[in-house]
Amino acid sequence: MTIREKVLIVEDEKSIAHFISTILSSNGYDPLLARTGAEAMTMLSSHCPDLVILDLGLPDMDGIEVLRSLREWSSLPVVVVSARSHERDKVEALDLGADDYLTKPFGTAELLARVRTAIRHTRTTSPSGEIAQRGTYTVGDLTIDYNKHQVLVRGENVHLTLSEFRIVALLGKYAGRVLSYDYIIKELWGPRAGGNNQILRVNMANIRRKIEKNPAEPEYLFTEVGVGYRLAENEQSV
Amino acid sequence: MPHSHTKNRLFPVSLRDFLLFTLILASAVGLCFLLRLADSSDGFASPVFVLAVLLISRFTDGYLFGLLAAVLSVICINYIFTYPYLEFNFTLSGYPLTFLTMLGVSLVTCTMTTKIKEQERLRVESEKEKMRANLLRSVSHDIRTPLTSIVGATSAVLETPGLSKEEQRVFLEDARNEAQWLIRLVENLLSITRIGDENTQIRKEQEAAEEILGEAARKFRKRFPHIQVSVSAPDELLLVPMDAILIEQVLSNLLENAVIHGECTTAIQLSVRREGGKAIFSVRDNGHGIPAKELPRLFDGTLKRSETPSGDGKRNMGLGLSVCMAIVHAHGGTMEAENLSDGAEFVFRLPVSEKESL
Repeated sequence: MTIREKVLIVEDEKSIAHFISTILSSNGYDPLLARTGAEAMTMLSSHCPDLVILDLGLPDMDGIEVLRSLREWSSLPVVVVSARSHERDKVEALDLGADDYLTKPFGTAELLARVRTAIRHTRTTSPSGEIAQRGTYTVGDLTIDYNKHQVLVRGENVHLTLSEFRIVALLGKYAGRVLSYDYIIKELWGPRAGGNNQILRVNMANIRRKIEKNPAEPEYLFTEVGVGYRLAENEQSV
Repeated sequence: MPHSHTKNRLFPVSLRDFLLFTLILASAVGLCFLLRLADSSDGFASPVFVLAVLLISRFTDGYLFGLLAAVLSVICINYIFTYPYLEFNFTLSGYPLTFLTMLGVSLVTCTMTTKIKEQERLRVESEKEKMRANLLRSVSHDIRTPLTSIVGATSAVLETPGLSKEEQRVFLEDARNEAQWLIRLVENLLSITRIGDENTQIRKEQEAAEEILGEAARKFRKRFPHIQVSVSAPDELLLVPMDAILIEQVLSNLLENAVIHGECTTAIQLSVRREGGKAIFSVRDNGHGIPAKELPRLFDGTLKRSETPSGDGKRNMGLGLSVCMAIVHAHGGTMEAENLSDGAEFVFRLPVSEKESL
């Protein structure tokens, strides 16, 4: 018998919780349900789940609060669920240590992809396995070489500048996950760089021109409008 | 709060008003100098300045500049244009009268102007209220149809014994499609609340146009994998101040319309380019084009479902487009549509720098 990964679903809407748990259990996960923030807090410590799917709108407390107190003692992966127009909530959750988010309404495929990515990142303890073993990350024709500080497309060095390389390297380390604009800016230019998104936009545009066939139809570097950027995930390692 | 609001409406300070004020007063002074060259009597100064005060009171907001003009005019007349020149003489016989006239003209005109503006504001507001009520009515109407079919389809599956797996699947698929249609409707409604009214400015940030285009296209491909979408953006990075979520909504509405209303659309070209101070976004399809009689009324939200040929599928037309229009307007942009030889093109232009959108 294989061990099924435990997923704690924190969601107060019965029907949504029901459909998420049905999909998860039919795809080899072991779903647990919590309807309130307080219930979630007790279940987190008593059941030690492998992943939490956390709705931000809970009846007794803000989902953000659950996340905040969870992050005080655990780094277990959290995927938050929020509505499309609340991009500030998503950014806040990501900056507080959420691993990813799902935008309501979402479909089966999206749910499973997010769950898979989030669980994989903990199992291999980020940075992902390939980076740890060989010092490279490959997706499609794109290879990030962490030892030589190079990015290759179809084997050719695309000559990124230092900042550009550091952005790609950072996204590669968390491939498949959204990194918020602020997070990237802080990692690159320090905590006092402030909210100047424009430098980041310009750098991203330059990177896209170097690695994408058509910068307006990216295959690797995706934009999550209003939230941040995501590098395509290498699906073979699933 | 309400106090400072009233105060600001009565005594607002703006650069535009200040420039207007300076310009009119300077012209009055200039005119008086010219007239004095032609004729050495002092009689003309007062009427010229009364006119200046009248104009300033009429064309600036609130009372501030009108009153200021009245005081300055009296000083000008007394100091420059009345004997003894370039000296104050407050003992002149007509002096209090001139001062009172100026003050009166300014006060009356300012009051009238402010009142007219207030009435205009109320009229616009009541029109908006009417539009909101209309929208609510048509939306409620639109929501009922898909809900009926969702309830119908699921009841059919639940309550009909012996329904084959295939028949069940058809019903459930119908229900899902209707629900997805409802989701898009709600996203559009949420966009409207995000625009808010004229007093709450939308939150604009410098965004890379290509990112928004790429993202809209990527989401669209997921929903309509059989339609070909090509995306093109200029080589040089084009940053446009916008609320990215809203502009993405505009693009996805236009893309969706191109498929649903183009009817035979197989390919869509999405592009952005820069022309002068504007970023020009275009969505071109190779479908049926827009029926000629609908074209002029496309954007005013008056298009009703019953007036469009194929009834049911068209129900989102009016709302989706008026939302696009509202979003583009809120960005200080313009929008238009035209028929091409093979399909339709929707274009919207957004100002590239903040200044031009003011």
